[in-house]
Amino acid sequence: MANISELLNGWGFGKQTAIGTANLVATIWRHTNLNTKPWAKVPVNEDDRAEIGKGHEFPTQLFKSHYNMPAYELSKYASSEFLAWALSFSMGNVVVSGSGPYVYTIVPALGATNPTGLELPYFSFVQQIRPGGSAVLDEMLVGCAVKGWKLSIKNSPGRASAMCAVECVTTGQYTSPSGITLPAISTPHEFNAGMISALTFNGINYLTGGSAKQFVSMEASWENNFRPGFFPGSGAQDGYQIQGRFEWGDRAFAVQFVVRVQAGSTEYANLINLTTGTATFTMTRDVNNSFTMLIQKMGFNVAELGNTDGIVTLQITGVQLYDPTNGMVTMTVTTPLQGICQ
Amino acid sequence: MAEMVFLRSPQGDEIKEIEATAEKLSPWMSSGWHQVPAPAAAQKPVVVAEEEKQHG
Repeated sequence: MANISELLNGWGFGKQTAIGTANLVATIWRHTNLNTKPWAKVPVNEDDRAEIGKGHEFPTQLFKSHYNMPAYELSKYASSEFLAWALSFSMGNVVVSGSGPYVYTIVPALGATNPTGLELPYFSFVQQIRPGGSAVLDEMLVGCAVKGWKLSIKNSPGRASAMCAVECVTTGQYTSPSGITLPAISTPHEFNAGMISALTFNGINYLTGGSAKQFVSMEASWENNFRPGFFPGSGAQDGYQIQGRFEWGDRAFAVQFVVRVQAGSTEYANLINLTTGTATFTMTRDVNNSFTMLIQKMGFNVAELGNTDGIVTLQITGVQLYDPTNGMVTMTVTTPLQGICQ
Repeated sequence: MAEMVFLRSPQGDEIKEIEATAEKLSPWMSSGWHQVPAPAAAQKPVVVAEEEKQHG
């Protein structure tokens, strides 16, 4: 028996060299996780009930089928290193500069030009409870990928005002025991909503423009819509078929935000006039830790009048357009951590 | 002076040195250029200044 609070999570901050080649311990970090569940392994069996010739309709045999691994959420307070990790592994084209702190510039990879086609970088995930001779749980899932993420910013105190949840998938390949001695737990450099230093969407400055008290909340999300990775030769684990690749499908980048309405609010005008412009969202903790999301061309799709805690608000659904020169979005993260997605 | 990084073309036949800012990198990265380690000094490419005009 063990309490779930004993669960230790570590995963590759560096990328695997191939989908079936696990991270070395030097490229694995250990972090806390607000998701209190372990990542379940789900081997699926099948039977012969559909086959005739047995003389009856009942199943008589079991067969190993495949590992149907559920998606797993890493839920954390947004920090510079976690954002750098999530954005790099979910979007794929990463440039690193600096010598400490390190600046990660990240854009979505294009299938036509990505060196790994439609595949993103892979990482390994380690979960342990009392690792050692009498471990309750000690395994490393190999070939994990980031399916999507959600960044949530809201008017509230503390770290919960800036959250990042990352949804991960894995092939079904694993090693147990993991053979990994997890490092000491990392201390992330976390953000909160009070650290927002730039907040301009489609020409409207919500930080210093207007009353400067308009902004209520924002959600930005990315979804890779991976295609199933079972194919001839995709591999096996314990006699069960595993997935051998995660290729992105139609990716989706969504941004919604809520602002208080005031005299002269221009959101409706921007929507009706099909106005587009850049959107810049920046959080700055210090010179070593910052995050900027630069949406190259944002328009407004919906501006819905409502109320939030009794205050008249507009919920804006942005539409992020692909700019022929600058692409869709450029993420820039400054963090002291080296080697993320390298 | 801003730091420079090296990017390789999608076709893999060209390497350019680009200023490591989001504004300068975005057009190149969005058209498929990827970071590569600095080439040996003898093979150092021309700084990108002129080519930037192509990308505004």
